[in-house]
Amino acid sequence: MIIKRVSLNSVIVYFKQDISETVLNQVQALNTLLQKLKGIVDIVPSYCSVLVTYDRGIYNYKSIKEVLNSFDMGRFDFIEQELHNATECSIKSNLQVIKIPTDYSKNLDLERVANHNNLTIEEVITLHTQQVYRVYAIGFMVGFAYLAQVDPKIATPRLTTPRAKIPKGSVAIADTQTAIYPQDSAGGWNIIGSTEFNAFEQFSIGDYVQFTKV
Amino acid sequence: MCSLQRYKMAFKVLNSGIFTTIQDQGRYGYAHLGITNSGAMDEYAYLWSQTLLGQKNINALEVMVGLKLEATKDIEISITGADLDFKIDGNSLAIWQTHYIKKGSILSFNRRVYGQRAYLAIKGGFDVPKKYGSYSTTLKEGIGFRLRRGDSLISCSGLKPPIPKSNPIFRVQPKYIPDYEKPLTLRVVLGYQEAEFTAEEREKFFNSEYEITLQSDRMGFRLKGEPIKANIDGIISEGIAFGSIQIPQDGQPIVLLKERQTIGGYPKIGTVLAEDCFRLAQRGAGCGIRFKEVDWELFQ
Repeated sequence: MIIKRVSLNSVIVYFKQDISETVLNQVQALNTLLQKLKGIVDIVPSYCSVLVTYDRGIYNYKSIKEVLNSFDMGRFDFIEQELHNATECSIKSNLQVIKIPTDYSKNLDLERVANHNNLTIEEVITLHTQQVYRVYAIGFMVGFAYLAQVDPKIATPRLTTPRAKIPKGSVAIADTQTAIYPQDSAGGWNIIGSTEFNAFEQFSIGDYVQFTKV
Repeated sequence: MCSLQRYKMAFKVLNSGIFTTIQDQGRYGYAHLGITNSGAMDEYAYLWSQTLLGQKNINALEVMVGLKLEATKDIEISITGADLDFKIDGNSLAIWQTHYIKKGSILSFNRRVYGQRAYLAIKGGFDVPKKYGSYSTTLKEGIGFRLRRGDSLISCSGLKPPIPKSNPIFRVQPKYIPDYEKPLTLRVVLGYQEAEFTAEEREKFFNSEYEITLQSDRMGFRLKGEPIKANIDGIISEGIAFGSIQIPQDGQPIVLLKERQTIGGYPKIGTVLAEDCFRLAQRGAGCGIRFKEVDWELFQ
């Protein structure tokens, strides 16, 4: 864990610069701890970092660093372990996996994804639905959650030219990530299905997500 | 939203102007959901619009040029920020102060004299719903309120305005009124990927003049000038702070402001101090700016 100065009222905490579940668990643990801390104005967790904006009336660079380091030294590893255990259990009991009912017939690029990977459309759907994904980041637009990792067998690069309008609810793949468009937007991801699930404000970092075929 | 029984229509929008929105100090605590801060681009001028009326962070109109309103009741207002040739019934009036407006008067913001954004506030604020704890408008998120011709603006305060004669006028002391025509040097705290910029590139950055381009808006200001190279093309997407200076592959800096995206993958050389971002918000396309490194410890 490395803490770097960003501005007069924010710092960024970097974990290992690696997109992995181990790092994601650390990001999720720190995010959970910070949500409860007074004097924090905004938190932006992402793949392997957490941007922390603080109230300058309460913290300065030195004191926020001390607080963040105290997490690192004691409680932090413990919470990470707890989270890990909790999620392992919940996966088994299926309790905390957010299910996304998806209509794969409403797609624009399923054939492209299948051709790119030498698979049938049915195989693509099976591989996309059998994986449990996790939320690695939220951004680009409100509620847009970057879910990873898709099976490398169906990984597909973005379109060379992005589309001007992708409808709300589109389920998409870009490289090894998958996502739901929470509202109409331009975008270059491969659209493989559509869902009625309202993605707006549903996800937080580290959540478990699975698509189901309808 | 404030009490409905007491509401009074304050203004009718005769002309919405280029882009008039309701703003406050911004929306905080929701960035983890991808919701941007938004808020007044020039927070300094906005805060004065509130102080002049003896209130704290209620809301105000962020006005660019062209807005025309009709007062539908006697009302006290404050105007700060850009000089947009503000007139009441065709008579030019001073800004950075309060005014009493008679019912039926026409308020207009006619042309840019200096600055880009003016703030018009009324006592008690405009009666619009708060969303995620703030009145601020972010069009791309579908949050907030952008003025349209024919809209009615409701005032939260239902109190009868006192007789103008007994009403004191409040003015901001001249020493606190910024000069938006003054050459602007943005103070920068190095941070983020600063190490990915060689000493040579940093020197270029701090010794060049950049021009504000037309691709500048509430999200960020795109600059044009000496290109800066980072040692890396991109990074794993991470949170973007207010005032971050992003250097994309073309080397042209982008200063990210109130409506910035919450995460992004371009390298960043550092962050512009908030007060300087407010000053930047009052500069238009074609204006030259410079950067200066400051020692963050001076501000602790």
